[in-house]
Amino acid sequence: MDVRSPKTPAGIGFRAKFILVVGGAVLFDLLVSGGLALWNVQRLSRDATLEVGQGLEAASQEYIRTYADSTAAQVSLLLRQVHSDVSTLAGVLQAQIDDPARNSDVGAAIARTSPPSVSLSYDQQGKWSQNAPGSLSVVSVWGYLLGQDQKPRPDVENDIRTSAVLDLVAPSLLRHGASKLQMYYIGSKERPIFRTAPYTDQAQTFDRLYPGHNEANFWDFFFPGLYESWQGWAKDMKTRPVADDITQTAPYTDAITGKLIVSFFHPLWTVDRKDVAGTAGADITLDQLAQTVENVKVAQSGFGFLAMSDGNVVAINSTGEKTLGLRAASGASGTGVTGLERSLKGSSQPAIAKLALDREQGIQHLLLQQDGNEIPYIVIVKKLPATNLWSSGPVRQEAMSLGVVVPEREIDASLYAAQAKISDATNRIVLYQILAILMSLLIVTIAVFAASKRITSGISALAGAAKRIQAKDYSVRVAIRSKDEVGEAGEAFNRMAEEISYHTENLEQLVEERTAQIEDAKEEISTLNAQLQRENRRLGTELAVAERMQLMVLPLDQELEEFQALEIAAYMRPAEEVGGDYYDVLKNGGRLKIGIGDVTGHGLESGVLMLMVQSVARALQEAGNTDAVEFLTNLNSALFKNIVRTKIDKHLTLAFLDYDGKEMILSGQHEEVVVVRANGEVERIDTMDLGIPIGLEADISAFIKTREIAFEKGDFILLHTDGVTEAENDAGELFGMERLCREAVRLKDLSAEKIVAEIVATLMHFIGSQKIYDDITLLAVRHR
Amino acid sequence: MEISDENFRVWAEQNEVYFDGVFRLAGPDAYAPIYSLISGLLHGGHKQVTFNLTGLEFLNSSGINLLAKLTIEARKMDDLLLVVKGTHQYPWQAKSLPNLKKLHPLLDLRLA
Repeated sequence: MDVRSPKTPAGIGFRAKFILVVGGAVLFDLLVSGGLALWNVQRLSRDATLEVGQGLEAASQEYIRTYADSTAAQVSLLLRQVHSDVSTLAGVLQAQIDDPARNSDVGAAIARTSPPSVSLSYDQQGKWSQNAPGSLSVVSVWGYLLGQDQKPRPDVENDIRTSAVLDLVAPSLLRHGASKLQMYYIGSKERPIFRTAPYTDQAQTFDRLYPGHNEANFWDFFFPGLYESWQGWAKDMKTRPVADDITQTAPYTDAITGKLIVSFFHPLWTVDRKDVAGTAGADITLDQLAQTVENVKVAQSGFGFLAMSDGNVVAINSTGEKTLGLRAASGASGTGVTGLERSLKGSSQPAIAKLALDREQGIQHLLLQQDGNEIPYIVIVKKLPATNLWSSGPVRQEAMSLGVVVPEREIDASLYAAQAKISDATNRIVLYQILAILMSLLIVTIAVFAASKRITSGISALAGAAKRIQAKDYSVRVAIRSKDEVGEAGEAFNRMAEEISYHTENLEQLVEERTAQIEDAKEEISTLNAQLQRENRRLGTELAVAERMQLMVLPLDQELEEFQALEIAAYMRPAEEVGGDYYDVLKNGGRLKIGIGDVTGHGLESGVLMLMVQSVARALQEAGNTDAVEFLTNLNSALFKNIVRTKIDKHLTLAFLDYDGKEMILSGQHEEVVVVRANGEVERIDTMDLGIPIGLEADISAFIKTREIAFEKGDFILLHTDGVTEAENDAGELFGMERLCREAVRLKDLSAEKIVAEIVATLMHFIGSQKIYDDITLLAVRHR
Repeated sequence: MEISDENFRVWAEQNEVYFDGVFRLAGPDAYAPIYSLISGLLHGGHKQVTFNLTGLEFLNSSGINLLAKLTIEARKMDDLLLVVKGTHQYPWQAKSLPNLKKLHPLLDLRLA
């Protein structure tokens, strides 16, 4: 029996198992799905960062490239506009040259309407002539173009007049189009007068800045080689480095304004186009170019620069100049114009010094030294359209390059920002995901607890109720409201408990009923028992009477002892109270009749039959019946009739020994007769042919025979019933004739009484604990 | 039909009745069912009835009385040949069965 307390169930309870299983499954599911989600979010973030990074980088580079293109376009546009203005001026001037008559007319007209344009006065100090202020343009005529009278030579005078057409065109060109510092006309090498709009103290400034210019030819002094180049072009236009008449100068300091300028010349040709007839020109300050370039602003500190093909930077802002490590060097002295030397090649930044500018470059990544640190920069270089350039010497082809420089850090700032945003978003998603998992866990835990309580409460109630039933509390009932198997189990349990309760409560009543029944039965049994005892007593009495009667008729010991010649001893033991064996010794005078028989079965009837045999035999003996055959025939006849009357369904074997003191006669059918001679020989005499069982037939005379047995002194005869030879031992073995004969021989010298006693002792030892099935009778007759 | 207990068995096959084992029944009453069985066979209209005793190890005197009564029963039926098959293997048979021949001289006793 289970003696554990119902409050402390051993091991893990059903609910705990349920919670473990369901909770475990949900936890596993949550962790797996949550983990997968987190992993995917991380991967998505990584991919997005990469994609955005690549996209932004591409976009940034594209932007810078576009910016560079656009800036280059702006610069080109500016230059084209200047070109256009110069070409317009040149066109007008060229048209005047090509039509001398009109030229002359226009000059005369201007001289009439605007005398200051053509009225020059000699300057003693400078030794040149120049018109007075008030005109739209200033015209300077160098000393070597004046005659002795300090007046211009006639051909020069003509040029002065005709060049006054500048006043008509230049002012409006200066006002409109690209911003230009000044526009001018320079005459041919023979008459290099210099007419410039607007009016400035031109010659005075030249004197101050370029001493000695008034002694040398203008072209050779200021632009050595330029004029000759043009003359070459006039001979063969194909010799132009660029298929354009306009020639640009390298930056130089303007003699008049003192500003860094770039000049654009458009040569004028003679009517026959065989020679140079002067030039139309325009100056723009470098500031104008620089402004466009310097306006480049990429990210926070990105900047642009404009460089000549030799690396000389013509436009850059101060931050850029510092960043690129440029060092300005003064131009070579002794020339008409002072150039500017600020080459990339001389940069303190090795990466910039190496930066090749002579060919189109894509985006380059450079590391620039800045405050001792190496800062990564992106540089893109864009080559502008080629132009004819005069620097000094012959005109050559020149293509300026526009560069845009941006710190990568700033370009990448948006990338970093995007990445930071993605990272933030990822972290936020991860955090939300974890919160969602925790929330799910909390909800699931609460749900599992609630569900488990709901599910297991029924089972717990059942278990508790079962324990109470075990503790013999049959009044217990469970209340399970769920409509499932547990509910059904609860209903079944309640029905069962009710039945148990009913049976238990009715047990007392049942016990009382049963007790009453038992009492009745007991009384009945008692009555029966009494009856049985009475019956037993009666039967016992009957049997006792029969037994006594049987024993009463056996010969008395003294009867057996009174024969002088013979020594007779007998032993009889019935298998039950009343046996069916018979033996007798009848004496009549000198004759002795010894009988032995065996009635089938045993019990009262057998005993009665045996009594009858004894009585009839005694009667026949007393009647003097000496014939053995007749004796048995008569005995059978009497018995047969009695058997028929009494309906005793039995018969018997019966043999007699008749002894008259000399002869021993054997008659009747019974067991073998054993004769042991004094010398130890054994003779077994079969009696089958000497008779037939008594009581089967009315007349047996035909079957009865006699046989004489030699019987000498020292011999003895042993008679027995089959109770002796057919006695069984524990092994189921029979005692048998051979064993009986051996015993008889062994005991041949003993008295008849001893022989019987010894054989019976041996027999009883042989039988041991085995049942005695049949009556045992043994009779020894010894010749004294 | 068959009558048996743990020690013996009696059964009839057509006109032959077989005895097998050890018979120690207490008396004529105990043998009555066997008597009825064999008596029925004798009156079954057979020309010949055989008692096969070759498996009969032991028969007590009440049993021998049974055989004697059946023999006398058979003797009363003129047209019935009773054959008794026995064996010398069990000594009691040689000792007791010749009595049947005495009761019914026409009985065919075969002791093998």
